[in-house]
Amino acid sequence: MNISMKDMQTRTQANVLQGPLGWGLLVAAGVVLLASLAFALIQLMTSGHTSFNTSSTLPWGQPIATYLYFALASSGLGLIASLPLVFGFKQYYPVAKRCIFLAFIVLISGMAVLALELGNVFRMLWAIPLNLQVQSAMFWMGVFYALDLLFLLWKFSKLQGGEWDSKTAKQVGIASFIGVLLASGNLALIFGMMSMRPFWFDALLPIYFYFTGVTSGVAALVFFTYLAHGFQRERMPPALQALLTGALPKLFAALIGGTLLFIAVRAITGLYSNNPEINLVWTGYLFASPLYNASLLLGLVLPFVVMLSASLRNRAGVQVLVACLVFLGLFAERFYFVVGGQVVPLFHGTWQPGLISYTPSATEWSLTFVGISLCFVLYLLGEKFLNLGDMPRHMAEAPAGAQANTA
Amino acid sequence: MAKWGMVIDLDKCTGCQACTTACSMENNTLPGESWQDVLFYHEGEYPSAQMKWLPRPCMQCENPSCVHVCPTRATYKDPDAGGIVFVDWNKCIGCKYCMIACPYGVRFYADEKPLIEPDIREAYPSDNGQLWSPPYQNPEEDWQRGIGIQPPGVVSKCTFCYHKVKHAPEGVVDLDEDNPEVKEYVPACVRTCAPKARYFGDLDNPESQVNLLIGDRHGVRLKDHTGNRPQVYYLGAGASVPAFTPADREHDA
Ligand code: SF4
Ligand code: SF4
Repeated sequence: MNISMKDMQTRTQANVLQGPLGWGLLVAAGVVLLASLAFALIQLMTSGHTSFNTSSTLPWGQPIATYLYFALASSGLGLIASLPLVFGFKQYYPVAKRCIFLAFIVLISGMAVLALELGNVFRMLWAIPLNLQVQSAMFWMGVFYALDLLFLLWKFSKLQGGEWDSKTAKQVGIASFIGVLLASGNLALIFGMMSMRPFWFDALLPIYFYFTGVTSGVAALVFFTYLAHGFQRERMPPALQALLTGALPKLFAALIGGTLLFIAVRAITGLYSNNPEINLVWTGYLFASPLYNASLLLGLVLPFVVMLSASLRNRAGVQVLVACLVFLGLFAERFYFVVGGQVVPLFHGTWQPGLISYTPSATEWSLTFVGISLCFVLYLLGEKFLNLGDMPRHMAEAPAGAQANTA
Repeated sequence: MAKWGMVIDLDKCTGCQACTTACSMENNTLPGESWQDVLFYHEGEYPSAQMKWLPRPCMQCENPSCVHVCPTRATYKDPDAGGIVFVDWNKCIGCKYCMIACPYGVRFYADEKPLIEPDIREAYPSDNGQLWSPPYQNPEEDWQRGIGIQPPGVVSKCTFCYHKVKHAPEGVVDLDEDNPEVKEYVPACVRTCAPKARYFGDLDNPESQVNLLIGDRHGVRLKDHTGNRPQVYYLGAGASVPAFTPADREHDA
């Protein structure tokens, strides 16, 4: 009892977000959240969706890409949490609780953005369950992500109660793992089953989404873990330090590499295809856009190259920088993926001689900021009140040297 | 019950857009949000270039992908209404997935930036839950079938003028505007077509004019590879959608 009290105290001091810095950040994030939410709501109430730059020819814009980004990052975080809780990779225990919490709030934030994008939000609450349209992938998206949320909450409550290894904790962990796979795989099929949208039509899209989802999840995890410790690794408990200089950076490097590989094969088959709805998207939209090229090079290629070097990838500053770059790089990937599926005019030869152009409006950007700031607010509250850095006691108490051995 | 189908003869169609205009007036659609439009294409280069045009209503597909994807069953195919695909404006949540899934681009989310300025919604602001309220409105309204002026946040589309068609006497095979008995029940675009390029009738009856035309003149359905199996057929040369080539690429294509 004594030991664990002392233990709690050391961790409390170690986590800077539990102190005044946390309050400061919380206020700042809260202000951004209120401002962006107020702007979005005023726009939606006064001019409705005319304040979006989407159209009947390109109906899904940045808010959908934002939702996609958040939902997949959440799934990625959920999958990482399964490493220790389901598959027994013990060195990941120090981040398990933070992972689950992040997965939960990132998903909530994504759903909030999606809700603000819909034409009739509240109608959804009865229209989807009452009509049970089981043919619709979007119906299943609702079911699976709702289950996912439930399992995340359940799993979190187990860890909160200190149950790391109990039988029920394991079972909930496994259920949650399956839930995550179903949810994000199904989200991929929402796009991947659209034979009329050839840029998306791809049976392997679920695999692509799992992979990139985990990559963005690790980016978020690395960033938020460092943030919690004032970007100083010395303040972290030894077990966490061991993870951040051991297994995690290697995994991160491999994930970025795999993501690049996926993009490369999609690009190569896309460029080779004669179908203008695929190849024009690559040549005329993606590779023609300096922003896309920059996000690919700076957001994924550069981080991959940097992470290949063992000495560089273990540096705290490099990890944080790479996490931020990958965050932006993958956000751009999601955006160009969602918009890219729609830029070739579907059936409008009429007076539509070029690709459909789309740039998000101020309202659409404000929704993205709602998502990001909501995430920060919830996260900071979590760090304050829920002891996210918790880990099984035997790990927390082991000296640094012993950690290196288990890693 | 009949299975309503439309035949459009491209050898007769002059691309005059009378159908487009008639549809907008009949259904009070916003300017530019044309449930029925005529799309223009050109192929080849001078002096052998070809101008093509294609009138395009909702195809009321037999196997409609818009229905399969809709999470709320707001979009549904009604066999009791001749297989017409409707949008229930009381159920639509505005997720726009149906617009993504429709291969023919015939669905409209009219709550968007005005396609034609000035924004007529500002001239006739809504006073009763509709997106806009023009002084003349078709008295027919049925939100469960997406008939009338749409409210904000939902998707709308061509209904084959079901508010007219539904009054046709039971058992009628051809809704032909030349037949005084039924001409009031003929969809607006068919009724108004000056060169009589459009036909409307029962696809389930082998004797119907639409079926005879489809058989005799090799009626085709567009984008058949998607499996949507439209209930709208095209006759004549050029009944296809050319592959998209952007204007500035035509030379290297
Ligand atoms: S044309 Fe499009 S909107 Fe009409 S029934 Fe077919 S898929 Fe649905
Ligand atoms: S926008 Fe409406 S009709 Fe279309 S899929 Fe969504 S709920 Fe169904």
